[in-house]
Amino acid sequence: MELLVQNLINGLTVGAFYALVALGYTMVYGVLKLINFAHGDLFMWGAYLGWVGLSLVMLLGLPPGVWALVPIIVLVMVTVALFGALIERTAYRPLRSAGRLPPIVSALGAAFILESLARNLFGASYKTYPGWAEVAGSFTVVGSVTMGLMQVIALVMSLLLMAVLYAFVNYTQVGTAMRAVSLDHDTSRLMGIDVNRIITLVFLIGPALGGAAGLMVAVRYGSFDFTLGWTFGLKAFIAAILGGIGNIPGAMLGGMILGIVESLGAGYISPQWKDVIAYVLLVLILLVRPTGLLGERVAEKL
Amino acid sequence: MKHLVLFLSLCLIGGLLLSGCVAAGGTIKIGLQGPMTGDYALEGQGFEKAVKLLVEQTNAAGGINGQKVELLVEDDKGDPKEASLVADRLAAKKIIAVIGAYNSSATEPASAIYNREGILHITPSSTATRLTQKGYQNFFRTAFLDDRQGLFAAEFMTKVLNAKAIALLHDNSTYAQGLAEWTKKYLEERKANVVFYDAINPKDTDFTATLTKIKAANPDVIYFTGYYAQGGLLLKQAPQVGLKVQWIGGNAMNNPDLIKIAGIENAKGVYVTTEPLPGDLDYPEAKKFIADYKAKYGSEPESVWTVMAADAYRVIEQAIKATKSTDPKKLAEYLHKDFKNFPGITGPILGFDEKGDRLGTIHKAYVINEKGEFVPNPKQP
Repeated sequence: MELLVQNLINGLTVGAFYALVALGYTMVYGVLKLINFAHGDLFMWGAYLGWVGLSLVMLLGLPPGVWALVPIIVLVMVTVALFGALIERTAYRPLRSAGRLPPIVSALGAAFILESLARNLFGASYKTYPGWAEVAGSFTVVGSVTMGLMQVIALVMSLLLMAVLYAFVNYTQVGTAMRAVSLDHDTSRLMGIDVNRIITLVFLIGPALGGAAGLMVAVRYGSFDFTLGWTFGLKAFIAAILGGIGNIPGAMLGGMILGIVESLGAGYISPQWKDVIAYVLLVLILLVRPTGLLGERVAEKL
Repeated sequence: MKHLVLFLSLCLIGGLLLSGCVAAGGTIKIGLQGPMTGDYALEGQGFEKAVKLLVEQTNAAGGINGQKVELLVEDDKGDPKEASLVADRLAAKKIIAVIGAYNSSATEPASAIYNREGILHITPSSTATRLTQKGYQNFFRTAFLDDRQGLFAAEFMTKVLNAKAIALLHDNSTYAQGLAEWTKKYLEERKANVVFYDAINPKDTDFTATLTKIKAANPDVIYFTGYYAQGGLLLKQAPQVGLKVQWIGGNAMNNPDLIKIAGIENAKGVYVTTEPLPGDLDYPEAKKFIADYKAKYGSEPESVWTVMAADAYRVIEQAIKATKSTDPKKLAEYLHKDFKNFPGITGPILGFDEKGDRLGTIHKAYVINEKGEFVPNPKQP
């Protein structure tokens, strides 16, 4: 029983990260029907920019401490959001009427450029966050079940960001416009919605969340390299499809389920077989529900 | 004036011919091949510096059995195709023995040529198992295979740490899996209790699920045979799932970045099993060699392979001295049968087995101290 609780906790924390990144894929797919392959690498850039921020704190001789993460996470979100909007403007918008395949190639190109840039600018070696930037320590939940403080913070932050996004999309005017654009560009335009502005906004919000996730993953695990975007991004992409791509609560659910299934597979059967176990299960789920778990409720689609 | 020039040049040519004649009859020709340029250039140059130093010392002391040694160095760039060309070239120059190459993929084609030409061949650094499985009677190595590290780890865990329940974890790479398998075999021979044996996916960053599974198996020692990047993450995440256990790493964990990734509070007290650094070899032969090396080149030997190359030369020298022969066949026979307990720079060379692999082990346990440095552990098996 304690083992089960521990595995669920482990799965939830990884799953929350998958979910946060999956939101970026799902939002863009919702409004453009485009799979933004560059999203994983924007997420990776969040980790690098956070590292730059923390290095600056040391360079400027500011007092080191966890406080530094608060301004840094804001700056990282803003910067990565600008990256995202820039990619949309230069790589996707000119190709919007070119059919389905050219934007995908363009997205892959953007992904490779972001990855190569990170490798060439920062080097191929592992980057580590300084020890003072993390909340060390762990506590006992129940019996022998243990949780790191950083694990709790990451989980709470992810849930908080997702809740804010959900409220924004569902209960504000701009959010309503976003949902309208995801249903039909032309009709939205007739209703007086500036479609291009909404799309830009999506490309600001998604990458901002991705950047925050990148920073949080780096703080949580302490080290990363330029391949972080592919491995994590791919899993987040799968989570988005599992939940029903284009659907915000779906992305959250998909991420959590993927994290938990992986964790249970590794914890109960075998760590080296956990990916096989997880993905066989996911294929089975998709066989039963090809549109993903929450994919059919078109009315709520973003 | 004209006549004088002619006379002098004739003298010079005559002198050269004469000395060339003497050299051909009187020297022992030993070849050295390695990557002098390219990715592994530092290692190849280390080979050359080490062997050159010893050859000079031999010749200054009057040679081996009164014959001077002539060293012929060739660059194989670490490339298999170059390695065969170089081997042909060295064979044509009538060498009796050769040291090299650095990497297994260069050593393999070269060893076929040296075998055909009947030349004694010793590699200081190629550790691929298959190299000694071709039945070549004149092929030897002064390096150890990965199974020796497994043997050492098993000894260390059972004898020094008195481990009652051992977890083995690798990352499915050829090297790490091989080391884990050998360790498991030697642990089972020692009737030790292996309670967990599995692998991680080195592309992952979250290992809490794996660590939870290990925790459920309740080991008192974990031996992780993979690389430092994942090792660091494992050390860091273990306390988060409440796993308190003694960690040991293989020689791929022996990297200062391990401490950066894991954090000093999680890394201190962790052991690694590894070949000793040249500076930590405490045999008299090693102290003398390293002092001479520093005096001549102004720096420590480049790596443990540099010192292995020096030992390769010393093995050849010993074989010629003992057999009073320069016939490679006799030398190889001697190395297989009568060569025992030779005081090597890299530690005692107990001998070679019938395949040409070095017996014994030189691995050491290092421990990470409070300052995050790898220092030799006071207790060794």
